[in-house]
Amino acid sequence: MTTATTVRTAARVVDAVKVYGRGDTEVRALDGVSVDFPVGRFTAIMGPSGSGKSTLMHCAAGLDTLTSGAAVIGDTELGSLDDRRLTLLRRDRVGFVFQAFNLVPTLTVAENITLPLDLAGGRGDPEWIDALIDVVGLRDRLHHRPTQLSGGQQQRVAVARAFAGRPDVVFADEPTGNLDSRSGDEVLGLLGRTVRQTARTVVMVTHDPVAAAHADEVVFLADGRLVDRMESPTADKVLDRMKAFEVPS
Amino acid sequence: MNAAVRLSVSSLRAHKRRFAGTFFAVFLGVAFLAGTLVMGDTLRASFDSMFGSATSGTDAVVRSADAITTPGDSQGVRQPVRTDLVSTLQDVPGVAAAAPDIEGAGQLVGKNGKPVGGQGPPTLAGNWITDSELNPYQLAEGRAPQKSGEVVVNRGAAKKGDLKIGDTTTLRTPDPVKVTVVGLATFGGEDGMAQVTFTGMTRADAEKYLTARPGEAASIKVRAGPGVGEKELVDRLTPVLPKGVEAITGQESAEENTDMISSQFLSIFTTFLLVFSGIALLVATFSIHNTFAIVVAQRTRENALLRALGASRRQVTATTLVEATVVAVAASAAGLAGGIGIAAGLQTLFPAIGFPFPDGNLVISVLSMVLPLAVGIVVCLGSALLPAARAGRTAPLAALRETAVDTSGASRTRAVTGMGLAALAVATTLTGVLVSPSIWLAAFGAVLALAAFVVLGPVASTSAVRILGGPLDRLRGVTGGLARRNALRSPKRTAATASALMIGVAVVSLFTVFGASLKATMDQTVSRSFAGDVAVSTPSFGAGGSGLSPRLAGAIQQIPEVDTAVGLGRGVAKVDGEGRALTVTDPIALERTFDLGKVDGSLRGLGTDGIAITRSEADKQHLTTGERARLTFTDGRTQTFTVRAVYGRSELAGDYVITRAAWAPHRTQDADSLIAVSFKDGVSTDAGKAAVQKVADRYGNPEVQTRDDYAQSSAGGIDMMLTLVYALLALAVLIALLGIANTLTLAVHERTRELGLLRAVGQTRSQLRAMVRWESVLVAAFGTVGGLGLGAFLGWVLVKASDGASDSAFAFAIPPVQLVIVALVGLAAGALAGLRPARRAARLDVLRAIATE
Repeated sequence: MTTATTVRTAARVVDAVKVYGRGDTEVRALDGVSVDFPVGRFTAIMGPSGSGKSTLMHCAAGLDTLTSGAAVIGDTELGSLDDRRLTLLRRDRVGFVFQAFNLVPTLTVAENITLPLDLAGGRGDPEWIDALIDVVGLRDRLHHRPTQLSGGQQQRVAVARAFAGRPDVVFADEPTGNLDSRSGDEVLGLLGRTVRQTARTVVMVTHDPVAAAHADEVVFLADGRLVDRMESPTADKVLDRMKAFEVPS
Repeated sequence: MNAAVRLSVSSLRAHKRRFAGTFFAVFLGVAFLAGTLVMGDTLRASFDSMFGSATSGTDAVVRSADAITTPGDSQGVRQPVRTDLVSTLQDVPGVAAAAPDIEGAGQLVGKNGKPVGGQGPPTLAGNWITDSELNPYQLAEGRAPQKSGEVVVNRGAAKKGDLKIGDTTTLRTPDPVKVTVVGLATFGGEDGMAQVTFTGMTRADAEKYLTARPGEAASIKVRAGPGVGEKELVDRLTPVLPKGVEAITGQESAEENTDMISSQFLSIFTTFLLVFSGIALLVATFSIHNTFAIVVAQRTRENALLRALGASRRQVTATTLVEATVVAVAASAAGLAGGIGIAAGLQTLFPAIGFPFPDGNLVISVLSMVLPLAVGIVVCLGSALLPAARAGRTAPLAALRETAVDTSGASRTRAVTGMGLAALAVATTLTGVLVSPSIWLAAFGAVLALAAFVVLGPVASTSAVRILGGPLDRLRGVTGGLARRNALRSPKRTAATASALMIGVAVVSLFTVFGASLKATMDQTVSRSFAGDVAVSTPSFGAGGSGLSPRLAGAIQQIPEVDTAVGLGRGVAKVDGEGRALTVTDPIALERTFDLGKVDGSLRGLGTDGIAITRSEADKQHLTTGERARLTFTDGRTQTFTVRAVYGRSELAGDYVITRAAWAPHRTQDADSLIAVSFKDGVSTDAGKAAVQKVADRYGNPEVQTRDDYAQSSAGGIDMMLTLVYALLALAVLIALLGIANTLTLAVHERTRELGLLRAVGQTRSQLRAMVRWESVLVAAFGTVGGLGLGAFLGWVLVKASDGASDSAFAFAIPPVQLVIVALVGLAAGALAGLRPARRAARLDVLRAIATE
């Protein structure tokens, strides 16, 4: 990366430290992690259970606060924001896809998709949302309730919702964790396509090498530290790298 | 420990908060009930000891044996006894002293020119009995009256009127008498006999102002000499008494007095309070049922797991029931303690607000301990019964299902049953109201209507919330929309929560509508029957006040502006054996200032042996013009009257009219209750009113009112009643609101994940709070609207049923302003109930909420 000016970051953390508990029960979930998530890229965060990957995502997305260090979205430092501003930032500039319970059961598919926009009181960009609905392929389901959809369809609605407000960055936390492999592939393909076709940024936490292979880059976490990065991953390469963690280094 | 018990105890410990609402609902209801019972018993005992100690010096009371009781008056009017009997009695061996007791109405005018008392309890005047043991009042300060115009006043009345020894004021007997206060008296150590005011005069004054003829007294009090018992004294007195006069023991007299207070005031008071604690407990039933239903629904997985692990249906049901029992017993016991505390608090509070609550310990009978406890436990367990049975029916497979939220809606059976009930209710009430008027049929219909509302609640809640919440989408955007849909989620739950408030609001609206209708009825009565321009009356209520001087009407008649002034006095007599109230007046003038409807015969020339009767009474007694009726008066004399006229409207004029001349030989202490005045043509109301007021000033300053003012002040008691009812219903509404808050708290708990998601995707805390609050308002709105509708309907039923059951015509009126206020209070209360759940929801930790497992 010789020309630093050409690569803008959508989100980054610098020297991120997150400590839970105190004294004997102290757990350092993040122990000095610095990582950039460049604009227009699909980045996967991988690591074994307890490596701190979910904590990293929560802190980077403004759902949780760091013990020390900085989390930045665009050029806004999250540590300086109070709960209200943080909420507004999440609403306007961040999208989320969780593993389950992504949708509000009382709202229709269409209403779920525009929920962040409705909460902001704006109309959003109707053409963009229209296009999104086609991308996720749910036009015939717009007036259904979430309970009438399959798990894969629900996650696709979540993806559409995450992108609806053209956020700076979309965070996905094990988005395929509850899906069978075919539905999972569809959702991951959808995330990848959206990033590439519309120059959006996605950060995805996963422990599944096959899911990670859909990303442009994988960052590896272990014991709260950043241990490796891998460009253009494949499932096999990621699996090999993961196996290396099992061997004491 | 039994497994079911162990499970429920650990579950109670883990979910203390869930049961806080249930606990408070039972607690408040039971406390109200226990407080009422204890206070009633305590008051009764206090009055008992008060009368006992006040009459302890009186061993026998001699009075006329026969009392004439008119409908609606429990005490009756007795013929006086001759005071010359006193000397005969004094000669009976064993009699230490005997004194006449002259009693009448006498209202003091306070230092500020306003009458003292008169709003309920009697305002009495009498002779000051010089034998201190026979006199129920004791001289506390100053001296006894010695010459004409001197009086002793009970200390409570003196305080209220700001009168001191040496002050000169007016006593309305009702003729104004100038009196000087020379002494202050106490009654059984208190400032007075509750709120009753008493003015003691010399015997000569009392005879002059309070009796129709000198030498008469209401009764004679007798004290026994040493060694003579009360019973023995009565036995000795009886032989010397003339025919129609009896002697009773002092104890019997005290008991009669206590019974009179009990039946007139205490039982009405306690029954009234018991009805409202019943309403509070009914409302509590809904809240409690709802809490248990939600808790059971939320615990479906847990119960299913227990069933899968081999717990029997019965064990699972028992677990819930044991929980309910623990809450019921704890809350009822606490409520009982609270109720006793309330009674104790009122006992200290009453004297502080000027109501001399007689001294004495709290009386806590076994009944007032057992009944509230039993009712509390039955209500709580009864409400938990269905949910517990449902818990037992949980299928083991439910453990594997995703969500465990009760989303069951309105079933067809429910809709059909509800509609059937509603139809039956309407049919029954309409029959009871319109076809064959019967209060019981109407009341049964009202109960059916309530049941129909409760059954139909879940069916109606969906469309009702959709309509009521319609504007929310537009006004409050997605926050409002979410609130509306949350309220729609579980129609059963929404309906049950709202039902509690609905009952409270329905009773409030029922009384509001009924009160307004009574006022409208008064208005209608006055405007229909009262043809005069101004009315002179003494604003009083209940047994208080002393009425108007019978000479005032004559004085007003002399004013040049006045065309006719007619005074209406009251008398009693037995008409063909039954006690009836008579209107004593000038019938010719009466016809000019009152609209009596259609008159058969003529009111002219009633003379001293003619009587006019309303049509309804005439029909009942099978009398027509020209026929004879036998009237027996309080002096024991019987006279035959000829019916000279039958008139249509009794509203203000009363059922029986005789002339003053006919009444004069039988009169007691005379007073007019109302003087109707019509002016000559061309005299303005203001000018005429001023002229009448000037004359009235000389007769104890009664109030001169225009027709409208008179109609309004006639309805003054209704407002007082309504205020009391509202205060009592506040408790039921409070319980309903606790129910709403509790349901919402449980719902928030249930929706933790969803709320977390909303927060994650950008719902601000204030939006989240607003969402919960609006849901609360919507549920409250449903309850309020339902309650208003039901209350207005029941109000109409009550008015129509009263109309059918009584002779006078009732008007039905819906007071829009008051009902709008009720609606607004309901909505505001809903918002208030949502505050705490909303705050708790907003405090939710986003991460915890969305954490996957």
